[in-house]
Amino acid sequence: MKTIFYSLLFFLAAVSFNSCKIDNYDEPQETLKGKVVDTATGEPVLTDQGSEGTRIRLRELSWKETKVPDNFDFFCMKEGIFQDTKVFKGHYNVRIDGAFIPLVRLTSAGDTIADETKYIDIQGITQVEFKVQPFLKLEWIGTPTVSNGKITAVVKVTRAVSPADFKTKIEPMGGYNDNFLNVTDVRLFVSQVPYVGYREWDNRYTTQINYSGNAFEALLGTPITITTTGVIPAGRTVFIRAAARINYATENIKRHNYNAAVRVDIP
Amino acid sequence: MKLKHFIFTILAFAGSLTSCKDYLNIPPMNVVQDKDLYSDVAGMTVYLSRMYSQMPFEDFKYSPARQFFDDWLVTPGANDGASLGRDAGTAMTSEGYSRNGAYWGRAFNLLRDANRLLETLPNYKANFSEADYNHFMGEGYFARAMVFYALAKRYGGVPLVTSVLKYPDKPAAELEIPRSTEEETWNQVLADFDLAITNLSASSPKRGYANKYVAYGFKSEAMLFAGSVAKYNKITGLGQKTNVRVIGFDPNTAAAASKKYFRESYDAARKVIISGKYSLYMKKWSANDKSAQYQNMVDMFSDLSSPENIYIKEYKYPDLTHGYDTYNIPRQLMGGNGYSAGNCPTLDFVELFDGFAKNADGTIKVFDSNGKYLLFDKVTDIFANAEPRLRAYVILPGDVFKGEAIEIRRGIYTGNATNGIAPLRVMNGGSPDYAVSGPSNYNQVDAYKALGAFAGQKSLFLSQNGNTHETVKLSNGTTMNAGGKSGPFTSDGTAAMTGFAVRKWLNPNMPQALVLEARSEQPFILMRYAEILLNIAEAASELALAGEAAPAGDNFQQNAFNAIAYIRARAGADPLTSLSDLSDVAGLKIIRKERMKELAFENKTLWDIRRWRTQHSDMLNGFTQSDGAYYKGLYPFYSTTTGKYFFDAGLDESRSRFRLTEQEYYLMIPGDEVSKSPMMDQQPGR
Repeated sequence: MKTIFYSLLFFLAAVSFNSCKIDNYDEPQETLKGKVVDTATGEPVLTDQGSEGTRIRLRELSWKETKVPDNFDFFCMKEGIFQDTKVFKGHYNVRIDGAFIPLVRLTSAGDTIADETKYIDIQGITQVEFKVQPFLKLEWIGTPTVSNGKITAVVKVTRAVSPADFKTKIEPMGGYNDNFLNVTDVRLFVSQVPYVGYREWDNRYTTQINYSGNAFEALLGTPITITTTGVIPAGRTVFIRAAARINYATENIKRHNYNAAVRVDIP
Repeated sequence: MKLKHFIFTILAFAGSLTSCKDYLNIPPMNVVQDKDLYSDVAGMTVYLSRMYSQMPFEDFKYSPARQFFDDWLVTPGANDGASLGRDAGTAMTSEGYSRNGAYWGRAFNLLRDANRLLETLPNYKANFSEADYNHFMGEGYFARAMVFYALAKRYGGVPLVTSVLKYPDKPAAELEIPRSTEEETWNQVLADFDLAITNLSASSPKRGYANKYVAYGFKSEAMLFAGSVAKYNKITGLGQKTNVRVIGFDPNTAAAASKKYFRESYDAARKVIISGKYSLYMKKWSANDKSAQYQNMVDMFSDLSSPENIYIKEYKYPDLTHGYDTYNIPRQLMGGNGYSAGNCPTLDFVELFDGFAKNADGTIKVFDSNGKYLLFDKVTDIFANAEPRLRAYVILPGDVFKGEAIEIRRGIYTGNATNGIAPLRVMNGGSPDYAVSGPSNYNQVDAYKALGAFAGQKSLFLSQNGNTHETVKLSNGTTMNAGGKSGPFTSDGTAAMTGFAVRKWLNPNMPQALVLEARSEQPFILMRYAEILLNIAEAASELALAGEAAPAGDNFQQNAFNAIAYIRARAGADPLTSLSDLSDVAGLKIIRKERMKELAFENKTLWDIRRWRTQHSDMLNGFTQSDGAYYKGLYPFYSTTTGKYFFDAGLDESRSRFRLTEQEYYLMIPGDEVSKSPMMDQQPGR
């Protein structure tokens, strides 16, 4: 009887020891910092903050417990920079997708034409810089003006990648159509916070101008005047940003290119 | 001690002896064996009962939010723009957020049952007559087709599990099946429906079972889906792990695939029509009699003997019930659980119908040429001549339900009306603002807050909720509550929040005391003849647009015309004027609109706008769903100085925002399924 009792006790102890095993894996401490810049000008590629902006996808290749590494996604800040301070040490594939020529280009059969993603070891503070070719470039012209609670801004939209270059890179991916290059809409986003963009906009004031077909072609490089809708109450502070996109989806989303957000005080 | 050793030794021997005896090696007696189940028709009934209990039927136990087999807050229409509700009213951007998770896992349970039937039944063929055997095989294919169809319309390409996976006989790693392409998946749906059609009996051997024409009906619906996706879908991509085109069609094959599927849809619908077994429900219908046409369309949803019903799901208290009545009943007839009006039709939906004055852009006419409200003697006058089908589907303000006039009134206006009444949505003395920037709730407008033109003179009275009313003393001495008994109210969404209540499916004979959760038992019509007509019209129009030739003796345009004309005549809608109405893209739009009207609140419209890929891109009141869009309501007010009613049309007060991005047409594969498998792909790009 005693033996049975002791063996039971031993068994229980063994079981409880097993279950006490803690997750002793070191917490992720490495930092990945990055920048997304325009190949041609070296200027940062501004973006929306969220799923319609620039997405960073990390895949840890050094982790062998899962056969195919899981995707770890996060989004770029609006200034075109990103950082993640909780990354496990290891070898990674870093891929970004946004309103620029895709870094990974596949044929319709799935064969790789180009892979401009980074394969890097992340350790300590690791810096990466992606040089990309954004579809469009937006610039403010002058300072936005306010009258009767409406903001009027002038923006200039130009191509940051030439149609010929675009075609060279996109056509081999299959299903190419010249209307991919058409600018479909220009918007003036308004928000109460500086993180203004497609995922943070006040639809009472935001304006959208749609262009059908290649109607925008003639307006490229010309000043476009765009005025907010509705009346923003006096005394408010808002942030505005212009955005435009072409008729081409990267990773199945037609993403906007942006200019910098500016603060406007409504007198 | 010795004795103990001895006993142990004996026991050890005894143990070794028993395990050697074959006659003791019998299957467990408490588990039903194949040979019992596949013994006769009664055994198969048991097997099929289990299969049918798992069928992905979008009935009174389905909502986009909670998916299948859950009867809580079932408000069909509230996700596709036909209606809004306090507890629903968003685009379907993901599935099963609340408590049931995605359909994914359960789909494979039923697939296993179906595959097992298809693999095992042939071993017991001798136990059945040939007709029974074929029918049961057909049921297996039918179940499989329905599962693959339910999966394909949610996820695109899926793992095509067409045999029983034997675990633990084989290690799990060997049983992994990657997702096939979307095209292969639709081809599997097609093949399984075809095998179901070949094998199923011409009429159901038992109530609730499928038959050949049920399979034809769902085939025509599924193939319309496949054809539309092949034609209209813009998003595609290759799986990260397998490099398989798991969503969308290869641009090189899409056009051909689209034509193939539309033709399959057309042919299947044609088979149902020429069988002559079904017709539209016209029992009480009478030409030029709107009230008969209305009553006819009310009755058709509860008449079990309707010749229009191809396939219905029946319920029976207390075994299998649902709660449609309690969640959707007008507020003033609310039952004891405290739910009501979960399904308030939008003005956008009501404006699809005929029979009331409209502006040039198709919106309802509520202002006269001076921009002042049109005044009506009775609240019912604005819809007095409305299309009977609208009245059969929607309870309009003042309509009678269960012997009671349903009182829908947003508020009372006491202001001067000698020069007409100006638009109400004005703030701080500004100009009327019916855009999203304008007042969202009537308690923000000047007439209510006594500002601007109404400075110092409160002229609008509203009800907070069903119990807290502002009241107005009328000239005849009586006191009137500002809000109607069924709302709408300022801060209670369980009322007619859009100014309408739903009538379709509600049981008009259910005593109020029984309007409770899990107490309703009216049947749900899963497939009816009207849909077959709409399917053939749409498929014909698509085929004609694609330049396809009609089968010998058939005329696409004539068939489409006949189908739509038949439906409109039954509905009491304005008739088509000529055959050419249905030509080209404009004709296709007419067919689609007819479909949205006829099949509203039947869990079909959401899938229609998804397969047309118009859900994210259609312009709704100035916005698209990809940017976030809103629907409208129609708010009745009573003017005390004139004793008349006027209606304010505008964005819904709750500002329910529908937002769907293009990639959300394909729902995400459950994350754990992706991360635990070396070959299961997430949707490309996500």
